[in-house]
Amino acid sequence: MASEVLAKPQMRGLLARRLRIHMVGAFLISLGVAALYKFGVAEPRKKAYADFYKNYSPEKDFEEMKKAGVFRSIK
Amino acid sequence: MATPAQLGLQNATSPIMEELIAFHDHALMIIFLISSLVLYIMSLMLTTKLTHTSTMNAQEIEMIWTILPAIILIMIALPSLRILYMTDEFIKPYLTLKAIGHQWYWSYEYSDYEDLAFDSYIMPTYFLEPGEFRLLEVDNRTTLPMEADIRMLVSSHDVLHSWAVPSLGVKTDAIPGRLNQITLASMRPGLFYGQCSEICGSNHSFMPIVLEFIYFQDFEVWAS
Repeated sequence: MASEVLAKPQMRGLLARRLRIHMVGAFLISLGVAALYKFGVAEPRKKAYADFYKNYSPEKDFEEMKKAGVFRSIK
Repeated sequence: MATPAQLGLQNATSPIMEELIAFHDHALMIIFLISSLVLYIMSLMLTTKLTHTSTMNAQEIEMIWTILPAIILIMIALPSLRILYMTDEFIKPYLTLKAIGHQWYWSYEYSDYEDLAFDSYIMPTYFLEPGEFRLLEVDNRTTLPMEADIRMLVSSHDVLHSWAVPSLGVKTDAIPGRLNQITLASMRPGLFYGQCSEICGSNHSFMPIVLEFIYFQDFEVWAS
C-alpha cells in the first residue's frame, strides 16, 4: 500500500506571520474604536450644541425663568 | 449643575467651555485609540504558545514607536495650546469683582459699585425651598450680567480654596496674599453652580458657589 506523502507543514516564521496579520488588525481595530467615538459621540455633541444655539432665544429663556421665579435678584 | 450619576462634563455655558468639551472629546478619542491597541496586543501575547527567544535587530519598529507617539503628542498639544491662549486673550471687561475664600464661605466685592459686598454661605438643608438643590444653594447668590466679559479676582482670607464653576469652564485657586485673575462670560441666563475645589478644612464640601446671570439692565437695577 503506497502511503500518501503529506505536504511539509510550515515550520518557521509562525510567530512573525501571526504578528504581521494581527498588527494590521490591531491598528485597524484601534482606528475603528477612535472613529466610533468621533462619529458616535464627538460629532453628535458638536451638532447638538449647534442645533441648540441655532434657534435659541436668550430673551425667551430669560422671561420663562423670570416667570418661574428662578431669579432672586429680580422681583 | 451635575445630575445624579453624571460621568461627563456639565453642559457648556461659555464659549471657552465649549472649546474645552471639544478638546476633551479629542483627547479621549486618542486615549481610547491607544488603550484599545494596547489591550489587543496584550490579549495577543496571552493567547499564543509561539515564542521568539533569539536576539533581534529592531531598528524599524523602534523608529515607528518613537515617531508615532511624537505625532500623537503634537496632535494633543496643538489644540491644547490654542485653547490656553484663547483663555488669555486680551478683553476689556464690563465688570470686575473679587471672590474671597474664607473658612467656610465665599465673600464677593463688587468694587465697581459703592458698598456692594456680601458673604455667601451655604443654605442649610432645613431651609431649602422645594426644587432647590441640597448642598449647592447659598443664601446670597452672585448676580452677574450675561453676554458680558467679567473679570474675577480670586483670593483667600485664610487657607487655600478654589473658586470653580464647571459649566463656565472656570477653576481658579484662592491663595492667601495673591490675586488670581480669570475671565468669565455666559451666553445664557440662569443659575450656574460650583463648589470649592481645594481642601480647606472640615466644611470644604459645604461652601458652594451660585452664579445668577441676568440681563445687564436688570443687573444695573440690582447693583444700585
